[in-house]
Amino acid sequence: MTITNLTKPGVGATIIALLIVLPLLTDSGFAITVMSQIGVAIIFALAFNMLLGQGGMLSFGHAVYFGLAGYVTAHVMNGMANEDLPYMPVTLIPIVGGIAGLFFGILIGFVSTRRAGTAFAMISLGFAELATALTLIIVFFFNGEEGVQTDRWIREEWFGITYGPDIQVYYLIAVWCVIAAIAMYALTRTPFGRISNAVRDNPERVQFIGYNTHRVRWLAFSLSSFFAGMAGALHAVNVEHVGFETVGLGQSGVILIMVYIGGTGNFAGPILGAILITLLNSYLSDITPAWYLYLGLIFVLMVMFAPGGLAGLIMMHDPIRRARPRLLLSMLPAYAIASAVSLVALAGAIGLIEMIYFLSTTVTRDTALVLYGIALDAADFWPWLICLALTAGGAYGCARAYPCMAEAYNSAMHEARLAVAS
Amino acid sequence: MTQAIELSGVQKSFGPTEIIRGVDLTIEQGEIHAIIGPNGAGKSTLFNLVTGRYRVSRGRIQLNGEDITNRSTFQINRRGLARSFQVTNIFAKMSVYENVRCGALWNLGYGYSFWQFVARRRDLNERTEMVLEQTGLMSRRGVPAGLLSYSDQRALEIAVTIAGGASVVMLDEPTSGMSSSETEQAVALIREISATRTMVIVEHDMGVVFDLADRISVLVYGKIIATGTPAEIRADAKVQEAYLGTEVN
Repeated sequence: MTITNLTKPGVGATIIALLIVLPLLTDSGFAITVMSQIGVAIIFALAFNMLLGQGGMLSFGHAVYFGLAGYVTAHVMNGMANEDLPYMPVTLIPIVGGIAGLFFGILIGFVSTRRAGTAFAMISLGFAELATALTLIIVFFFNGEEGVQTDRWIREEWFGITYGPDIQVYYLIAVWCVIAAIAMYALTRTPFGRISNAVRDNPERVQFIGYNTHRVRWLAFSLSSFFAGMAGALHAVNVEHVGFETVGLGQSGVILIMVYIGGTGNFAGPILGAILITLLNSYLSDITPAWYLYLGLIFVLMVMFAPGGLAGLIMMHDPIRRARPRLLLSMLPAYAIASAVSLVALAGAIGLIEMIYFLSTTVTRDTALVLYGIALDAADFWPWLICLALTAGGAYGCARAYPCMAEAYNSAMHEARLAVAS
Repeated sequence: MTQAIELSGVQKSFGPTEIIRGVDLTIEQGEIHAIIGPNGAGKSTLFNLVTGRYRVSRGRIQLNGEDITNRSTFQINRRGLARSFQVTNIFAKMSVYENVRCGALWNLGYGYSFWQFVARRRDLNERTEMVLEQTGLMSRRGVPAGLLSYSDQRALEIAVTIAGGASVVMLDEPTSGMSSSETEQAVALIREISATRTMVIVEHDMGVVFDLADRISVLVYGKIIATGTPAEIRADAKVQEAYLGTEVN
């Protein structure tokens, strides 16, 4: 199964079955919360890629629409609870968030999409700063640094759903995630979707086939903000709190990193990125305080060596799979060796980073730490030597193994081409 | 019948430099009109003025009797004027098929619609296939445009230009950089598409110009010094002096 096949009914059914069964396999509340976060991240990442991957617009401030919609949702839910607002089921609240996102997208997008490229990116940065400043100024709506609390349990809905238990919220998010993903995929196949790609590739030429590029970008921006708002609403339902950080640069940066690591050139890329980064964020941040350093490293390495992201790396192999799947097996040894030496280098480097991080942040002048489950003393000579040796040896191994891996790939590609040609 | 394009007193300055110094030019319906002239005469600038890429400093441009002076490029295109580019200007990451289909979208009334699928619109796909057939690109339909050979990219450039069904088509050096056999194919293609359209061509290859054109205008230093049939242009003393020399005779 590859990501090209996302639209095949069998694959779709498998994914939906997985979404239903996965939370039943665990009784950890934390795991279910993480899965809910992944669902929100997937919607947001796909929305972001409507801009970046489909429309060629790099935004540093797309969390503005995510966060503002979150605030609106929290207020609407609070209003419904106080009976200031007419009741609607929380099940449908993502539509409220989407409309809020759409509203701000139309408003701000009209200005920011007048220009493309660097100017667009800078304007998006400006609006992100503006939104953060507003959260601290307009207290009656944003409630300053405290943010807005809300309660998703308003009254019993269809089939006795209350959204009290986390598992019900997970299913709410899963259902909306599937709906949003299908809708965004469908959008890529419409006249708007195609012309959006054309504006990405060559905005000037688009004007000579009858299109106003500003209109195209504005529409893409507004629709993307709709889905970002939907994600923001689900975030508000999930954590029952919306704070100023949800509209800020940090949130905007994380979504950019997710989408880029997953891959902008393939519809499934942002989904992969959202899953991977949310998982790492949830589990790795518990294990190591240096987590952001690793995230930064992953991002830099991806940008440098795999600009197509994870999806790009996988799709590289698709022509081989389609021509002759057995060829993939022949590449396995070279890939295995490269992975092994990479792991060695990684293990050494992580050891060094962890020890440096530990020594530079410890307040007690204590030098005893636990690395890979082994109790060590960072003042000793041996752990440093071993980690250095692992790093150097692994790096040397990489230098030898990577060309072999490239060679294996190239020869498999060559054979695949021959197989197709014959 | 109104003229396809009519320029009256068109001037264009970049800062203090006057590039187009008062051009009056009439392109008749259905003709192939070539614009020739030495390098730096302002041919490309003239193209850019008519298609709305640059704003004119003074003067008036009409398309099929309607004033299009200083309208935006997409508005001019919607009124039935399309152009190709001297430097290939296509959608590199999209397939050949997708390139041509995008060229047809506005003309067939699809606009910015996001509630219907391109794959299901029969008129759209029929038009796309017709243009691919006409330009000889059918066998390359699935290839990303950026990976095409040079002459195929030039053909795609023309395919995208004509896909919108424009009544007036302007081609900027359609055979530049082509081998003689490729040029021959391009000329045949241009002749074929000119059957139902008014064509304006800027071209350096004099063989192509005198072979194809119904009428020729000679642009020298921002002014049209002569307009006429190929025979008249050949015989024109001013043209010979300013531009052609003896090489055409």
